[in-house]
Amino acid sequence: MNWRNIRLIYAREIRDQLRDRRTLFMIAVLPLLLYPLLGTSVFQLSQFVRKSEPRVLVVGSEQLEGSDEFPALFEDGHFAAKMAGDPKVADWLHVEFAKTRENSPAEKASSDENADSPGKNDSKSDAEKQDSELERAEARLKSGDVQVVLNFPPGFGDRLRQLREQINSRAAGAKDAPATAAAAADIEKPELMFNSGKEKSRVAHMQVEQIVDSWKSQIVRENLLASRVPANVARPFEIQPHDVAERHAQQALMWSKVLPFVLFIWALTGAFYPAVDLCAGEKERGTLETLLSSPAARTEIVWGKLLTVMTFSGTTALLNLLSLGVTARYVVSQLSMMPIGDIGEGMELPPIPSLLWLVVALVPMTALFSALCLACAAFARSTKEGQYYLMPLFLISMPLMLLPLAPGSELNLGNSLIPITGVVLLVMSLVQGDYTEALRYFVPVCGVTLICCHWAIRWAVYQFNQESVLFRESERLDPRRWIVHLIRDRRDTPTLAEAFFCVVLILVVQFFMQLAITANAPANPDFTYLSLSLFISQVVCIALPALLMTLILTDRPRKTLLLARAPSALACFVAVALAVLAHPLGLQLSTWIRELYPVSDSLHEKLEVIGQMLKSAPNSWLPYVIIAVLPAFCEELAFRGFILSGLRHLGSKWWAIGLSAIFFGLVHGIIQQSLSAVVLGCLIGYIAVQTGSLIPGMLFHMTYNSLGFATAHLPEWADAHPGLHSLFSVSADNQQIVYNVPIDCACLVLMIAPLIWLHRLPYQATREEQISDARARQPHHPVPAGASSTGE
Amino acid sequence: MINVTALTKSYPDISRGDVIALSNVTFTAQPGQIYGLLGPNGAGKTTALRILSTILQPTSGTAVVGGFDCVTQPEMVRHQIGFISANTAVYDRMTAWEMVEYFGRLYGMEEAELHDRMELLFERLQMQEIRDLLGAKMSTGMKQKVSIARAIIHDPPVLIFDEATTGLDVLVARALLDTVAELRDQGKCILFSTHIMREAERLCDRIAIMHRGNILAEGTLDDLRNQQAERDLEELFFQLISRHNQSLQPQPV
Repeated sequence: MNWRNIRLIYAREIRDQLRDRRTLFMIAVLPLLLYPLLGTSVFQLSQFVRKSEPRVLVVGSEQLEGSDEFPALFEDGHFAAKMAGDPKVADWLHVEFAKTRENSPAEKASSDENADSPGKNDSKSDAEKQDSELERAEARLKSGDVQVVLNFPPGFGDRLRQLREQINSRAAGAKDAPATAAAAADIEKPELMFNSGKEKSRVAHMQVEQIVDSWKSQIVRENLLASRVPANVARPFEIQPHDVAERHAQQALMWSKVLPFVLFIWALTGAFYPAVDLCAGEKERGTLETLLSSPAARTEIVWGKLLTVMTFSGTTALLNLLSLGVTARYVVSQLSMMPIGDIGEGMELPPIPSLLWLVVALVPMTALFSALCLACAAFARSTKEGQYYLMPLFLISMPLMLLPLAPGSELNLGNSLIPITGVVLLVMSLVQGDYTEALRYFVPVCGVTLICCHWAIRWAVYQFNQESVLFRESERLDPRRWIVHLIRDRRDTPTLAEAFFCVVLILVVQFFMQLAITANAPANPDFTYLSLSLFISQVVCIALPALLMTLILTDRPRKTLLLARAPSALACFVAVALAVLAHPLGLQLSTWIRELYPVSDSLHEKLEVIGQMLKSAPNSWLPYVIIAVLPAFCEELAFRGFILSGLRHLGSKWWAIGLSAIFFGLVHGIIQQSLSAVVLGCLIGYIAVQTGSLIPGMLFHMTYNSLGFATAHLPEWADAHPGLHSLFSVSADNQQIVYNVPIDCACLVLMIAPLIWLHRLPYQATREEQISDARARQPHHPVPAGASSTGE
Repeated sequence: MINVTALTKSYPDISRGDVIALSNVTFTAQPGQIYGLLGPNGAGKTTALRILSTILQPTSGTAVVGGFDCVTQPEMVRHQIGFISANTAVYDRMTAWEMVEYFGRLYGMEEAELHDRMELLFERLQMQEIRDLLGAKMSTGMKQKVSIARAIIHDPPVLIFDEATTGLDVLVARALLDTVAELRDQGKCILFSTHIMREAERLCDRIAIMHRGNILAEGTLDDLRNQQAERDLEELFFQLISRHNQSLQPQPV
């Protein structure tokens, strides 16, 4: 790779982008305008919120009037400021009183005179009136005309007064205590109606509920006082909250959740538009072919463009951060002026070290996002098509960015190994000032991020090397023609896309089959059920898709499945020997993995049930068939057969082996199994590529699984032959058998010989691999200009 | 200088199956010679030239430019060639001067040497007035001049012109052809593809007539006339193509 070329391409692309008004707007102008605009709109919103006061309709409020024995719930047409706690809130809630009875003294007197039995009739007509008023109120509530209806049922005020009178007379010495209790039980319940389907109503409901509660407490207090019972009888003590967190720590926690998210979202957005312009845009404008015919290598072109995209991605994110910071104070001060809650009260900007950590973390994230965007954009035929790929990228990245914001998410080894999530968690720790915690996981987070960056860049380079991608023409969408084309124009071995599709197909079939198996599980699952479910998951889900795809989509099925030539006996022996030697190391590895990702209790139970089912086998060899032989055949046919053959078109056997191993791990479902499966997949893949046959890999797989199953009996055998105890130990916490360190070391050393033997085998490189190798060997010194056979 | 042997290129097509764009093409071009690929649209000229400029990879066969293999040593090949095609556009947001300078640097030229050569080329191709003009504001002729300057800035021994006169007016096209002839006189090995008979007649030392991925006839203009017993190149071209089309049609039983 020639760094001079990369620098040249980088400088050109940067200049080119800076001359593009659209890019400049997205990168620089938008962030600088966005937050001030948002701030202004929050300010406008807050004014708006104050103007649109929630309306509270009170039905039956007349009952509370004129009774001085109770604290006032309303004052001057509003809720009493004392009850609301905050005069602002009391003012904010607009109270409307529904008239349910004539309450002016004069009217009341005249109605008293006219009625024969005034109290009864009056109460009846009041109740009817109140019911019809309530119906109207409910309709208004539903229509959104009012937000809350507070209904005091007929007789509520009178009963409350009666209660107080009884308390008073009891306090004065009268003996009617039971009646007091009865009166208290009979008090009609006031009703607080609201509409949970409307946000405004929910907010108003919360406020009114608090006010009424506070009023109720006040009445309780006064009742107690009247009955000469100390007021603190009902609330003997209050809990005093005491938060030891310092102010800056609270601020840091808040910022640690907001800032990484905002920053990384913008890093992704900022990477996307330049990437589309630099790849799909250049294809559209016809300048990509000009560049491809220059001496710059594809890798150099990708690196030059990648660094450009990274620069813009980082700049966008930083400008957003800056603009957000400047606007934040303004927004926060406006928020704190809003009547609801204390959002943003006393908020401060994050400290400088936190911001610096954010900037540092931005580098790997921009690299990752830029490489992903570049690869997607390289695949796109036009700018328009490129923009369609933004959404899938967001859909993949967003959950990974949001995961750390979930309550309880913390930086641990498991989380630190998840791409993007690990970085967000690390940055959150750094912003919060947990440096020791962050330092512990710095290496895994950086390691995973770097690996992901490397893969994303490789993918982008791969896209640039694909002429089908560079000169893709629009095709008519016709599934029938496409299927005919797949079968008619099939190659000797599967294409890369077919290999990927096979993995997806296996995963999808496996998902649905597992649902079906679980749904039809018997109450007491036995060995037959286990055998059947293993048969389905291996044969139907894994082997069948791969075999069908081989027969339909390839011209030479035996070559595809690495069954065209018989392996040498020595190769088979070496594979078996490697399996025996790898077995103790595999056990050690899975122990480490279980320490990293402890097995959950439910999974532990499931594994125990499977163990029990295996023990119920009708004979001792049958479990070996379903645990060792069946997977060895089925999984090898799919992963080292069809899928690896397709992946070999990548042009690098190491990439093919690595990817097939990752897919092999994916189908294992349980993370603890998946991780060890990836490592073993690499080893089996290497055996398959070097020997050019599937058989040694199958033998390895079979031997390895058999040993794994047999190991479970090791403690029993050791009881019969105590000498065996010195070879292994059983970990107390997860019942995992581990061989002793000398055995592990010996196996590791002994493995070198068969691996060297495999390495020396003349493996059959694919055409793509041959070209890659030849290109890697080509001289890189440029021919000096003018060094042609002729001059001017 | 250019050795093409049994070059074949096929690509999958959903409706038509494997389409053979180039079938077993063999030719050799020497320094100081303009080798013309003459053929109608879809004859495989662009595919052949894209393979020679290492943008495409052949399905089989070899293409060697200046001793370097196009498949296994593409970077060395690209140092040897200047490629001008209807598809190699100029950058919209770069001036003529910046664009030529950029490619000169990519070819690894020293700054002083590069600027001397740029001055010379801008003078010779009469590009001084568009020196600071952005690509987006140039006419087709101006763009083609920039493309030529870009392709010959490093003084490559091999030049590939793929339908380079497409879209040019008569005056500009004539100027381009003069430049190509001049380059030939300087000893460059030039591959020139066109579908215009007059251009081939006027310029090419050797001509390969292509149709549907095959070379139907090859040689100097006189060789072709003698072989086909036809003086008029256009007539000769038509006869060859008609015969080839007839041979491709299924014979009646």
